[in-house]
Parts: sequence; C-alpha cells; structure tokens
Amino acid sequence: MADKMDVDAVSGAREEETVGPAPDLPPERIIINNFDLIRQAVDAFDSRFILRALRSISTLRKSDKFAEAIVQGVRTAFPKPTMGARKVLEDMLPENVTAMQNGTSSSGEDKKRDGSTEEQQLPEIWAYLGILVQVYLYDSQQFQDGADFSTNFVEKIRSWNRRTLDQIGAKAYFYYSLFHESLDPKPPSKQSPVIEVRPKLLAALRSAVLRKDNDTQAAATVLLLRNYIITADITQADLLVAQTQFPSAASNNQVCRYLYYLGRIRAIQLAYTEAHDHLESATRKSPTAGPAVGFYQQSMKLLIVVELLMGDIPERSVFRQPALETALYPYFKLVQAVRVGDLQAFLRCVTNNEGQFRKDGTYTLILRLRQNVIKTGVRMLSLSYSRISLRDICTRLHISSEESAEYITAKAIRDGVIEATLDHQNGHMVTNPQRDAYSTTEPSEAFHARIEALLNLRDECVMAMRYPMNKHRQELSEAAKAREREKELAKEIIEGEGDDADGDEGGFEGM
Amino acid sequence: MVALTSAAGLVGFLSEPDSTLQAFALERLNDDIDSVWTEVSGSIGQIEALYEDSSFSHRELAALVVSKVYYQLQEYNLSMEFALNAGKHFNIDQGGEYEQTILTKCIDTYIALCALHNPTSPMSKDRRQSNDFDYKQTADGPANATASMSSPITPFSQSALPSKSLLSRDEDNSWEPSAPGGGNAGVPGAHPHPLTLTSHVKKSLQNVVRSLFESCYKEGAYRQVVGIAVEARNMDILREAILRASQDEKSKGKKAAVAGAGQMEDLMDYVLDICMNVVQERGLRNEILQLILDLLNDIPSPDYFAIARCVVYLDQHTMASDMLKKLIQKGDGRSLSIAYQLSFDLYENGTQEFLQKVMEELPETEDTEKTVLPPNMGQTRAPATDSDATANEEDNDNSAESEQLLSELQDNAGSTSTVVASRTKPQPQSEDEKKAVTSVKTIMRGTKSIELNLEFLFRSSKSDKAILNKIRDSLEARNSIFHTSVTFANAFMYAGTTIDTFFRDNLEWLGKAVNWSKFTATAALGVIHRGNLGQGQKLLEPYLPKGPHDSSTGSSYSQGGSLYALGLIYTNHGTHVLDYLRRSFKSTSEEVVQHGGALGIGVAGMATGNEDIYDELKNVLYSDSAINGEAVGLSMGLVMLGTGNVKALEDMIQYAHDTQHEKIVRGLAMGMALIMYARQEAADELINGLLDDADPALRYGGILTVALAYCGSGSNKAVRKLLHVAVSDVSDDVRRIAVMSLGFVLFRKPGSVPRMVELLSESYNPHVRYGATMALGIACAGTGLDEAIDLLEPMMKDSVDFVRQGALISLAMIMVQQNEAMNPKVTQIRKQLQKMVGDRHEDAMAKFGCAIALGIIDAGGRNCTIGLQTQTGNLNMEAIVGMAVFTQYWYWFPFTHFLSLSFTPTHITGVDGDLEIPSFKFHSNTRPSMFDYPPEQEVKTEEAPEKVKTAVLSTTAQAKRRQAAKARRERGESMEVDPTPTTPKPDGADVDKMDEDTNVVETGKEGEEKADGETSAPGSTKKKAEKEKVGYELENMSRVLPGQIRYVSFPGEGRYQPVKKPTGGPILLFDTQPDEPKSLLELKAKKKTAPPAPTANGNTVGPAPGAGNADQGAAGARAAAGVLTTVDEDDEGGEEAPCPEAFDVEDDEEMEG
Repeated sequence: MADKMDVDAVSGAREEETVGPAPDLPPERIIINNFDLIRQAVDAFDSRFILRALRSISTLRKSDKFAEAIVQGVRTAFPKPTMGARKVLEDMLPENVTAMQNGTSSSGEDKKRDGSTEEQQLPEIWAYLGILVQVYLYDSQQFQDGADFSTNFVEKIRSWNRRTLDQIGAKAYFYYSLFHESLDPKPPSKQSPVIEVRPKLLAALRSAVLRKDNDTQAAATVLLLRNYIITADITQADLLVAQTQFPSAASNNQVCRYLYYLGRIRAIQLAYTEAHDHLESATRKSPTAGPAVGFYQQSMKLLIVVELLMGDIPERSVFRQPALETALYPYFKLVQAVRVGDLQAFLRCVTNNEGQFRKDGTYTLILRLRQNVIKTGVRMLSLSYSRISLRDICTRLHISSEESAEYITAKAIRDGVIEATLDHQNGHMVTNPQRDAYSTTEPSEAFHARIEALLNLRDECVMAMRYPMNKHRQELSEAAKAREREKELAKEIIEGEGDDADGDEGGFEGM
Repeated sequence: MVALTSAAGLVGFLSEPDSTLQAFALERLNDDIDSVWTEVSGSIGQIEALYEDSSFSHRELAALVVSKVYYQLQEYNLSMEFALNAGKHFNIDQGGEYEQTILTKCIDTYIALCALHNPTSPMSKDRRQSNDFDYKQTADGPANATASMSSPITPFSQSALPSKSLLSRDEDNSWEPSAPGGGNAGVPGAHPHPLTLTSHVKKSLQNVVRSLFESCYKEGAYRQVVGIAVEARNMDILREAILRASQDEKSKGKKAAVAGAGQMEDLMDYVLDICMNVVQERGLRNEILQLILDLLNDIPSPDYFAIARCVVYLDQHTMASDMLKKLIQKGDGRSLSIAYQLSFDLYENGTQEFLQKVMEELPETEDTEKTVLPPNMGQTRAPATDSDATANEEDNDNSAESEQLLSELQDNAGSTSTVVASRTKPQPQSEDEKKAVTSVKTIMRGTKSIELNLEFLFRSSKSDKAILNKIRDSLEARNSIFHTSVTFANAFMYAGTTIDTFFRDNLEWLGKAVNWSKFTATAALGVIHRGNLGQGQKLLEPYLPKGPHDSSTGSSYSQGGSLYALGLIYTNHGTHVLDYLRRSFKSTSEEVVQHGGALGIGVAGMATGNEDIYDELKNVLYSDSAINGEAVGLSMGLVMLGTGNVKALEDMIQYAHDTQHEKIVRGLAMGMALIMYARQEAADELINGLLDDADPALRYGGILTVALAYCGSGSNKAVRKLLHVAVSDVSDDVRRIAVMSLGFVLFRKPGSVPRMVELLSESYNPHVRYGATMALGIACAGTGLDEAIDLLEPMMKDSVDFVRQGALISLAMIMVQQNEAMNPKVTQIRKQLQKMVGDRHEDAMAKFGCAIALGIIDAGGRNCTIGLQTQTGNLNMEAIVGMAVFTQYWYWFPFTHFLSLSFTPTHITGVDGDLEIPSFKFHSNTRPSMFDYPPEQEVKTEEAPEKVKTAVLSTTAQAKRRQAAKARRERGESMEVDPTPTTPKPDGADVDKMDEDTNVVETGKEGEEKADGETSAPGSTKKKAEKEKVGYELENMSRVLPGQIRYVSFPGEGRYQPVKKPTGGPILLFDTQPDEPKSLLELKAKKKTAPPAPTANGNTVGPAPGAGNADQGAAGARAAAGVLTTVDEDDEGGEEAPCPEAFDVEDDEEMEG
C-alpha cells in the first residue's frame, strides 16, 4: 500500500507540468531560469513565483541529464568551490558527474568567481537546489543518503524562518518523510524509522502554526496522518485530527490528501457517512487525468468500498472511465458480487484478489462487507417478493439455519435496509408496500445536495481567481482617450462648418 | 531510550493512586510532550486535578505539562497561566518556541494589566462615568442627540470622551463599537481578562517580565523596555529604564564616554519620537513628556531643545521662562546663543498665548513692557500657578471643560493682582542681561523670525514675470473669475516678498476689478507684503477706511479688502494692529467692510483666545447678515482657535440652528471646527453631534472638525470615520470634505494617502474625485511624491471641470519647489499648466485652477514650500489653519488668500549673538543642480499667446481662416520651441529681469550674483552638462530645501559654530572669535521702503541706493491706490449696499461651472 501511495503522492506535484516552461529547454537552463523566478518571488514577496519554479521539477526529473543539470545549477548559484553550501549539495551528487563538470567548466568559472566573490546567495535558491538534490536521490534509490541529507536540510530550512521559504519547506518535509518510509524495516513494522520522524514533523507543525506558515502546516499535518496510518496508529491519527485545524488556505493538493486520509480514518472507525463525504470531495478535487491519476484511483477504490459498506452500489459508469477501468477491475467484480448479494461469489472474489486488496489497504474493510452482502441479498428478496418464508431465504442466500436468517432479516429491518415485518408464527417476512419516493422530500434533498456541491465548487473557483492589479486603469485611460477623440471630432465639426461657409462665400466670389 | 511512540501507558499511570508513579509519568510526559501531546490532551483534566491537589509533591511539574499541552492546542492564554504557575520549572532562558510564545503572551498580558491598573491620567479616571453618559445618549438615537446638541448645557458640560487611540484598549467606542484597536493588543479576547488572573499568577507574571527587563538592561536593549513601558503606560518602568541607561553610560567610565555618549541621547530621542508620533492619547503623552521633562532637568548638561519641545507641548510656560532666565544669567556667549535659539524654537512651535505668558515671566525691561502687555488683553493668566497646576489643568481640560472655563474666569478676575506680582520681579542686574532679555523677547514676539523671512524672500525672489504676464494675457480681465485668478496667481508668486510691481505696472488691468474682485485685489497686497511688520500699515494707508465719519470716501470693497490685507500682513502676530482692526470693525456698519474687518481680526488675532474680541464679533453676528456672517463665524473660530472653549461652541451651535442663512451656518461650522483644532478626543462629542445633524452644512462642519481636531495624528479612528462618511453621506459637499479631510489627518504620512484615495479618485461622483485630489495635495504638499503625481496626472484630463481644477491645484502644491533633477515630471507639468491656461477650449473653472496652480508652484518667489508641520515636526498651526480655510475657496474666492499662511520660506540663516546676520559659508554635500531653482521661462514663450490672440480678433472670415491656420502652425512651432530644455541665457535673462524689476536694488543684484557665484550662477548651468562636482558652498541666508537639509553641514573649524544640528530657519551661531570684526550681510528688505503716503519714512540704516526706486515705487503705489479706491465709484457710484446677488453669482458660477 505504501509504495502505491508514494507514487501517487509524488505525482500529485506533477499534475500541472504542462503549464511549466517549454520542455525543449535544456534542464540546466530551466534550473537557472528558475533562479530568476525565485529572486522575483523574494523581491515581490509573492509565493506564486516559487510555485512556478517548483512546478518544473517533474520535467526536470525526466531528463536523463538531471544530475548534470543540478551540478550546473549549483555552480551558477555558488561559483566558489569552497562555499559550504555548495559542498553540502555536491557531496550528494554522483562523483563522476561533478568531476567531469569540474574539468569542463573550470575556465568559465574563474571568470565568474571574480565577479561575485562575496555575493550572498538567497537561501531560497539554495533550498530549491536542495529539493532538486532530494528528488535526484529519491529517483536514484539512494534512500539512506537521502534520509541523512533531508534531516539536515529540513532543520536548516526551519532555522531560517522566512515566509518565502514556506513552499519549498513543505516540499522538503515531504521528501524527508518519503525517504524514511523507504528505509528498512518498511512501515507496518513498529521498528520502522518512520516513527522517529514523528517528533520532527510535530515540531515542524508547531513552528508552522506559530509562524502562520500555511503551506508547511498543511504538509506536516498530512504527513503526520500518513505516518500514523502507515503504522496503523489510527487512534493517534484521530486525536491529531481532532486537535489541530487544517489551514483553510492550504493548496488543493494538500486538501485532497488530507481529505483522503480523513476518509480513511473515518472508514476504519465505522463512520461511513463521514468517510464517504470526505472521500467524495477528495475524488472530486483530485485531478482525474495525467500523472496524478494514481491518487485518483486509490481514493476511488476506497470510496467504492465505503459506498458498499454504506449499502449503496456504485454506478456502473464509474468502472468505465478509461483511467479507472483496469485498476478497478477487482473492485468491479466485488461490486457485482455485493450487488446481487451472492455470498459465494463475494468470498471467491475476496480470496482471488486478496493480494491486491491488501496492497490497497482496503482488505480489512472489504472483510466487513460480508454482512452487507447478506443484507443486500435480503434487500433483493424484499424487493422481489411481497412475502417470503424464512426457509426460502435460507436457500437463496446460502444461510445455514432459519434462526440466523431470522436474525439477519430482523437486523436488516432494524437498520432500515428494508421495510418489512417478520411474521414469526408463520415464519414469513412480509414486505411493506413500496412508497412513492417522489411523494417524499427525498428527491429535493438529493437535488439540494447536488446544488450545494456545485455552489461550493463555484465559490472555490471564484476565490482561487486572481485579479491583475490596475487592470481597470487601462480601461480608464482608454475611456479618457475616447473622450479626447470625441472632443477633437466636435472641434473638427465646428471648424468644418466654418470651412463650408467659407467655401460658399468663395463660390459667390468666384461667380 | 528513544522517544515514546504512544503515551497511553503513561497516561494510565496518572490515575494510579501512588504519587511516585504519577510523578514518574509526569516526568516522562514532560520530556516527550512534543510528540505525544495528542494523547495526553484527552486526560488534561486529570493532570490539572493533580496540580490542584495541594498534597501532591510535583504540582509545578503538572502545571508545566498542562501548560505545554495547552500550548500545543493553541490555547495560549491558559498555557501562559499554567506556565506561570509552574514556578522554577518554567525557564524563560531556554530559547525554544514554547518559551518564546509564552513570553510574548506574558508581555502582552502584562501590558494589558498595567494599562488597566495605570490609567493614571485624570482624563482616564472618569472614563467609566463618561462612557455611561455616552451610552445613554447614543441609545436615545440621533434625533435626541441633535436635540441635546442644541440645548445649551447638556452636550458639553461633562464632555469627556474616553481617549480612544492606538494605545487605548477600551473598545466601547462611541463612534463605532466595532472599531479594533491597534494590532493584536486591542482585539478583545486576545488576552485573558487581566482581572481574572489570580494574585499568584500576577506575581509570577511580574517576576517574569521583571527578569526579562533585567536581561534587556544587561544587553543594553533599553529601547525594548521603553517600548513596553510606554505601551503599558507604566511610568515607573519608563523612568527606571532611562535612569538605568544613564547610569550605565556613567559606569562605563570615561574611556567609553565618547562611544557611549550618544546612547542616552538616542534613547531620549527615541522616547520623544514615540511620544510625539506613536502615542496618540493626549493624557498619556502629557504624562510621558512630564516624565521626560523631569529627567532632563536632572541631567547636568541637558538637551535644551528637547526640553523646549516638551515644554511647548505641555504648555509649561514657567518652565520655559525659567530655562531662559537661567541661560541668560549664565551670561556667556554660548548660553546666550542657546537661549536665543530656544526662543526661536519656542516661537516656531508655540501659540501666541503661550509666548505671551513666557514673556511676562521674564524680567522686565522698560522698552518692551508696553508692547508685551497690549491693552485689553485680558488673557494674562496667573503666572503664579506653578507648573504642576497648569499641567493638571491641561490634563483636565478635556474632562471638565466647564471647570476649566471657570478657573479661567477666575484667573482673569485675578489677573490684576497677578500681573502686579509679575511686575515685582527683580529687574535684571546688569546691562548685558537686560540686553539679552530684550533680544529674547524680540525673538519670541516673532519679529525677528518674520524679519529674517522677509529679508530672505525679498533678497532671493526668483519669480518669473513672464509667466504672470502670460496668465494675465490669456485670461480676459472683464470676467471677474479670471481677474480674481490672476490676482491670486500674482499674490502667491510674490507672497511675502513685498514686490508688488505687478499691480503698479498693470494699472489698466487693475482698473477692471469691480466689487469683490476689488476686495480680493486689495487683499492680495496683504499676501504680498505679509510679514512686512514695519511698513504694513503705512503701505495700506490709502485703502484703509478713514474713520467713522467719512467712510464713504473710498470704495467699501477696497476698504474691506485692505482690512483683510492688514490682517494677513500681521498674521498670527497681531499685537500692533489688533486694536486698529477692532476699531475699524466696530465703527463701520458697511457689511463689506465688516466682512474684511472680521477676516482681518481673525487672521491677526489667531489663537489669542481673547474674549473681548469674541464678544464684538458675536454682536455683529447677531445682526444676521449673510455677507458678514460667514466671515464673522470663521473669525470667531480663528480667535478661539484650539481653545475648545465650551461657551463659544454653545453660542455658535445655537446660532447655527437659529439662522436662516446657509452662509452663516457654514461660517459657524468652520469656526467650530477651528475651535477644536488639535483637540483630538476632546472634540469627539462635538463631532458626533454635528454629524448627526440634519443640516448638511453642519455635517460639513463636523467633518471639518474631525480634520482639524485630528490633524496630523494619523488616527485610525478618524480615518475610518472619514472614509465612512465619504461614501455614505447624502450630501455631495459633505462627501467632498470628508475625502479632503483625509489629507489633514494623514499629512504626517504622505506615503499612505495615495493608496487610500486611489479608489476614491476613480469614484463616479465628481465631488469625491475632487476631494481625492485635494487630499493628495494637502497631505503630499511639497513632497513631490511620485505615487501622488501618478494619480493626479490623469485627473488633469477629467471630464468634470472642477475635478481638473482640483488636480491642477494639488499638483502645484505637490510640485512646489521641485526641479527637474528631483522630479523629472515637473517641467512637463509646468508646461502643461501654461498650455491649459491659454487654451481657448478650456472651461473657466479649470483655467481658474490653472492660474492658481501656476501661482502656487512658484510660491513666494520660488522660495517657499507648503509645510503643515514645522521643522522640528510639530504641527504648524498657522499653516494648517491656512490650508483648512483655503479649501473653502470653493464657496468664497477671497478665502483663497489663506493659502499664503501655509507658505513656509525654506532657508537656513545663521544669526550671531547680536542677532545680526554674519557673512559666512556652509557646505551642501550635493550636486548644485540637485536643488536648483527651476529655469526661468524663455521670453519667446511670452509672444506665442499674443499672436494667437490677434488671430482670434481678426474679423473677415477669410482672413480668419487663413490666419487661424497660420496661428495653428505657429502654435505648433512655438510648441516645438517650448520643449527645448530652458537653459537660461545668462545675460539676456538677467538684463531682462533687471529692467523689469524696478524694485531690486543695485546692491541686491550684486549680492545675489555673489551668492550665486559658486552655486547656481547662470554660467554654471553650461558646466552642469559636463560633470558636476558633488558638494558646494552656500552663503548665509540661502535657499535650502527641506530635502536638502540632511546634506548640509557647517565647516568644523570655521569661525561660526551652530548651537544645534542644522534645521531650516534661523540658526544661532556661536562666534568663536568674538573680538574680531564681523562682516555682515546687508539687509535689503529693510532698506527698501515703499511708503505710499507722502511722508516718506527716512530709513536709519545707511545710504539707500534704492531710494530712487522707492520713490518710483511710491508713485506706482499711489496710482494703484487711486485705481483701487476710486474706480468703483466711477463705475457704479450709486451702489450703496452690495447686493447679495453679486455675492451669490460667483457662488453659482462656481457650482455650475
């Protein structure tokens, strides 16, 4: 499960890659261009530019010259080889690359070195390069190095306490915890290094709250939840959720993840309705295409299971989506089994796909479905028959005894799954006649729920919009120009009239 | 052992009965609380119970754990409370985030607590009670409020609004209950209510803060302590901090004396700075100043200038006079210099009333006595009241104004005895001392400053006649609005320079002035001769009313105007002329003359608080005439300026409700605003009352009161109020003034105004737009602020004419004294102004604004800036009042002249111990072009409009067309000529100027050239192009712009040493070689005599090469006088009573146009 989520989560950052800088640029150019963006961000105190710089990471990591590009970037930012900051970064990169670069670009460097001897480089740029190093280490599977580097790295970032570092910091924490998850022993074990990360993340969360650093706060909360869930410390995760506030200004990606984990916790805690709400918003918010589709699949799986647990049957169209079709195939089978209430088919499906379900982290939840399968069976029966004997129920649902059938139907009636009564004397279940759903408020309520969801979506869109400064000024000046033109025109007309009169006069004279 | 993964087990231990187990659990939890707090928070109640269990041995540890958990839960208040209970376990020296957060919280709470316990100022003491009063009133609704406003006693008798400012925390604001205070400190709920804390907690809180202070002292971070102390209103801490700082300095010994010497001074400066600029509550401010004053006196070598600032603010005249006496008694050159400088400072910052009192307490000298105590000035308050009493009175006057009034009356009653007491003061012993006292008094009476200003303005006037002529030629004089606007342009350009040649040279033009234009033209003489104390009255002789028996000899308009002019000449310095003005005012029944007389009295008798004058004005007011009523209402305010006089306010409000005339209501409303000048919170009640009124004119007054009462305070509350009214009132007038008033409130922070009015300047409502332009002009006057210009520039092309007018005037106010080096836009804007004034298609209103703007931008011969605060940063009362009344030109053009009150000459003049002006040089560390005068207009431009004019006048259509085309071509050409950078041709321009300027004396020219020699001589302009050297010398009494002052330095080893850091204005120089002969600068203004009366006053000072000129000038003046006084009778001799129609016509024109 962990691995799957890694990929999903990582790719979350990639979602907007198409908007990034032109892909045909060489990677080192992109990095150096990003320095400008970061400087701009620091000067203008506008985090947007930092985000733009971070966005290009996914393009960069695909390049086969990633390491070289990083080295180039480091060299440009820190021309002096003796600089401490440079050394820290270069130590992490493969030696052959650094050596080669040393050989080729030493002459050019000398020139640069004279120009900017004592120039103090922005911490943001250093941190950005640090992130690139982290990504490189992760991609090249050097988890131990990465963990060590990240530990120092996040500590450094935290000590700076700059608001322009927030986005970079959030990302740094993300890789920091990712590296630790990849170390042996792997997470579900209680000896995993993941647990050692917790105090640090908690401290980061506290600092972020005190510094009103929304990005790091959101990232740390999400990472902590993930951390707790990996080691199945659901209680602690729940306590954390209860006792912290998730920042409302967090980025969409973080909100998605937060909702997903929240849904997970609630599902495990049997609060299916809540879990369903959370998961539904998570799937709605998450991108349904592109590299982040893994997250979408994952949350969809969980959502389907929760829906089943609630007694609903997911729509068929869900499984036809191209992004989901293959990934959700086992779940499709599962849904089919539950839908018809076929206990045998259900058990068969579960045993066949156990590996997959375990990997998805849904296995325990699916096991809870058995009750639901039976309930669905009862429901199907109650829909089909206005009256049916318990014995028939036993045979249809493969239940061993009439007593247990009676028990199951009684429970179903009590849970409100079916509207029926039990005739104990005759051993019958009598279904109450169906009411007309349209005579109730149910349709309008459903309608209302949809409208509300849409309105929320609209509000969020409006809030996410940016209004360029002084745009209206342009219009004003245009209006002023138009006025001017009008004036001139009026003047022309007046003078023109004079001319006409003159012309007439001239005509007379000529005659 | 590694960190805990789960605290469940430890939490379990807590419920064990064994206290050792519990203690162990707490111990462990305390170590790892950061990672397990989520689990502990569930059982927080249990730990709290442990803490409360007095038998438990680790109570404090429990408190610490609880505190940390609350901290994690972001319940910082509770966290702090428990942390303070944790005793030794809570260690602030650990620099973790937890400790820091708790510490911040502690300080906040401490401040809140102290502020609650130390409302020591009497003003705050009856806060409670007055609040109740307010509530009752506001609860009764606005209707009732107005009703109570008009009833004479209720509204003001117990008027004492609680001070609500940046530093006050009471949120029950009578204006807006939701008004948040400054920062986090004022937000309700940000602190635990201090009273709910137990005494134990309070004690440990004190300890924590105490130890914090100690560590600050150790590091020498005194400013932080001072900051906390000021915010906590804790005078003891403040005193202690300052004392510790000075002790520290001493203990450092003599080695470090050089390095550390500045520290104490720095700290003092810092305290003064916050006190004046940050603290907005008058009571607290007074308290701090009092404290500083006490401390400053204890220091062996006090900073007299800092003390002087406090003294003026606290109105402690005794202190001031003592200080001066002491300095004079010392008698050495340096002390005397300091005494003189001090007097200059006092004059600059103090009111007439204050100075009067200081002078009374100085030892008597025979020659001054008569002038010091003008007859009928019943204002001599008991000098015997010692400093404390007056300080209290100052504090009290907001809360108990009626009491103050009473005591004032008593003071007046007892004045005879106290004056006697002051007379018994010992005569100064020696001749020297006597001389010194005389000098001090001369300075304090302002004569010296005014004389210096006049001298400077006359000497270095750089007005450009060409511009003025161009304005005159392009505006048709028969139209009274244009005639008036040329008059204003002329008045402003030559304000204070005493050069009135324009009038003399343009008698024909002057003859076209009729009715109120004539009034304005005559009054313009006052602006031009402003400060000409010696000859003012003589100058105006021909115009002045001759007496009660033959008031019919001259035109009543010129008579009225001349009285107004007389007032302007003696602005805020009315000792000599007030009697004359009052006599003339009383003796006439002519309404126009009364109008002028009232204005004159108001200006000259500004802030004297003289009850007699007030009563005289009131009597005239009750005759209920629209013409004089407006002026009288205004003058009542001017006389009572800033006194907050309750009786006056009651009278005025009463009458404003009774009268039918809108003009009178407006005049009174403005007067009330003036009475509340700089009263801040004390004016709140009046403001609320006026703003609730149904009459828009009174609401207008209410807004004006906000502007004046809170002028320069930057008060958030006032700004909020203004912004609210600016967008919500139904009357355009009120909205306009509300926006405009933002400029007054915020003029100390000009940078914030453009942002604030940005949106308003794009309002659909032209009145709001106009207000925005004026707000910018007022707040950013003289700064050349780019943001403001960017906003205003497009507004010059606004579709509504009066908005254009406002934009032009504001631009001029902002651009005053700017040259191209400082602000590249200035040339372009000047050009645009000149183009607009000649543009045929432009509306009259905009042209009017354009002409005024051209006058303002060259104010006072290009030697004046517009400054609403003095060089030392105090409010410049005269300037603010001038500006406020100027904005009323919207309703009544003659008020435009008031703007001249806010013109401040920009010069540095060194004065030596004998109050003479020695010839010496100082250094300005800039390129000469940086602060140079803008280049003179080329003569060619003068021709362009004339050609256009002839073209317009030609008759046959054919010729018209052809010529129009030609003219267009020519205009195009002239436009091409125009933009070439106007490098003045050295000879041509000079000769030209010499020819025109009949008044400039030969020697003056030479002196000027000498002065210009190194600096800005025309020849050097060419060199500028090559390479300018940084740094150049300036002659004494040179133009030094406010922005330039920081580059100015005095040569260290020169003969003359200044007694204080260079600021603008007069600076006392200490002569290091007193025995050597001095070379003095010649005073030119004094020599120039322009006696209009036949009895030419022979001047005592030396031979006058300008005598001939003077005669010539006299002839011109006579002619001018003839024109102004007679023409009216020729034209409309029969017109006895100026009909109100004429009065209104201009008004309508204004409104419609």
